[in-house]
Amino acid sequence: MQKHDAVIIGAGPAGLNAAIALRKHDLNVLVIDEFPHLGGRLLGQLHEEPNGEWWNGIKEAEKLVNEAKALNTEMLTNVSVHHIQRKDGAFVVHTNRKNYEAKNVLIATGAAETANPIPGWTLPGVMTIGAAQVMTNVHRVRVGEKGIVIGVNVLAAAIARELLLAGIRLHSLALPINNAVTDEQSHPKMVMERLSRIAHLAPSPLLRFGGKFAKYKWAQNIAVSFYPKKGINMWDVPIHLRKAVKEINGTEQVESVTMVDITKDGEIIPGTEEEIPVDFVCIAGGLYPLAELAAVVGVPFKYVEPLGGHVPVHNEKMETPVEGVYVAGNITGIESAKVARAQGKVAGLSIAFRMKKDAAIQKEIEKAMDEVKTTRDNATIQFHPEIARGRDDIHAQFNKYLNG
Amino acid sequence: MRDVIICRCEEVTLSQLEEIIKHHDPSARELKLRTRAGMGICGGKTCRPLLDKVLQKLTDKPPTDDIPLKVQPPVRPTSLAQLGGSGDET
Amino acid sequence: MKRNRIIEHPILDQLEERKTVTFQFDGKTLTGYERDTIASALLANGIRTLRRHEHSGAPRGIYCNIGHCFECRVTVNGTPNVRACITPIEENMIVESGKQLPSPLNPNNEHVPKTYREYMEMKDGEN
Repeated sequence: MQKHDAVIIGAGPAGLNAAIALRKHDLNVLVIDEFPHLGGRLLGQLHEEPNGEWWNGIKEAEKLVNEAKALNTEMLTNVSVHHIQRKDGAFVVHTNRKNYEAKNVLIATGAAETANPIPGWTLPGVMTIGAAQVMTNVHRVRVGEKGIVIGVNVLAAAIARELLLAGIRLHSLALPINNAVTDEQSHPKMVMERLSRIAHLAPSPLLRFGGKFAKYKWAQNIAVSFYPKKGINMWDVPIHLRKAVKEINGTEQVESVTMVDITKDGEIIPGTEEEIPVDFVCIAGGLYPLAELAAVVGVPFKYVEPLGGHVPVHNEKMETPVEGVYVAGNITGIESAKVARAQGKVAGLSIAFRMKKDAAIQKEIEKAMDEVKTTRDNATIQFHPEIARGRDDIHAQFNKYLNG
Repeated sequence: MRDVIICRCEEVTLSQLEEIIKHHDPSARELKLRTRAGMGICGGKTCRPLLDKVLQKLTDKPPTDDIPLKVQPPVRPTSLAQLGGSGDET
Repeated sequence: MKRNRIIEHPILDQLEERKTVTFQFDGKTLTGYERDTIASALLANGIRTLRRHEHSGAPRGIYCNIGHCFECRVTVNGTPNVRACITPIEENMIVESGKQLPSPLNPNNEHVPKTYREYMEMKDGEN
């Protein structure tokens, strides 16, 4: 069987950019993705940059795919990986098509969405906010006539805007009702605090709004205590911090949601139930690194909350403690697609260095690592205020791991 | 209020999980085995973070660095035909 | 099918004209466009319920839309557990929704057959 220098799992910004770096060093690469189109979750992203230009993920994906194609990169869609096995110092990547042998593997599987589970969330018409994004911007099919977003966070705000651009109506963005799972996502003060700490980064009115209360806890408290009943409008859609969705109603599909007023601590105010007719519901609970393949190939993990939960241990060169296994993109922590793309380049170069031991590549790696930091510092979308601390934590864990 | 499903594949509800946690002080694995939460076809891709959260919240234990529920291959459901070849090649 | 499409968009390109693809869902003949997934083609046709929960019979549709959650699994040309959200439609593809399974030992369940024969008779009755 042919042994690839590298098999890359995931054709998103990280995977594609890694493939480009590897092909530039003339290494034999195979990129695998289970989605029908290359580009990963770049496909569907659409937001306005501070300079007023639009970042269109579909176009960004096209650029990467075209560059990879020009370098004769082998790329497969509709192929799912279900296991990676270590064998004689190399790897066997098991897929639904066949097994591929590789001297190195890069796991760039991105993230999955965390849910805000509330009663009725299994009804047809209830979907993750990411599902609505893909249906709207990639497949160009309307998810419904009028809906509601459950969850107030960066992901919710970004995609709500995209739905509005496509002419889909939203009743509002509101919090999920408090339960053991929704926890911080359902707590007005915690949501406000999170929003205010990332406010300085973002161009969107929601985050600008949060920014007014950035520095002072007392200001946040007041803002939550006196938060307007009607919500605060963003692009003509109310954002609610003092209203929560308690239940999703319907028999065969979504017909309405039940909304209630809540105290500043997230408790239901009795007698405030209101039934709101909607035909779709988007659940926006955030993202977590999708790292199953790193786990089955034996990479150790660390829990780092600012990165989105359990993250495979890795260093700034995107190496894991398992020699020959690399990670890049959202599997290493939830950040923007631009950071993922920059990390992909580092990972590709690190693999190239392992194969060629060329000192010139070492220099390229240093430069690419700087690019990751610059991209992070200039990010206009950030999912957690303490991302830099999270990064330090996971890199320190790698060193601890290697030095016993 | 209506009960809320946590594991969509196996339709395991929050109150079922709470009941097991109250009576058994279970590990993540025991919670899974007693309720089937996380044992459905998606392999826990939707409910894994939710189950971690429920356990953490209700037992007051901080998150561990190891993933609480062991990840097992195959991480995508796969058919025997795919594993052994469809027979077309012979 | 066109009614549910987002054709004009202020930022993204206008939706291009694409070749139509004819396929079947639970015996009904439907059309979608090339590059559609089964899930997007069905939603464009106003169909949201892709299966019933095996045990409870509760209706289910797409949830994550990128292949993680397996909520949208359907049977395609006889192959079960195919994810509608990441599988492109093909000409003459036969798609079937997931059905509630019989639970003959559950005395409370009136809506499901109690024996295999009843199950087979019900199945025949559907066709």
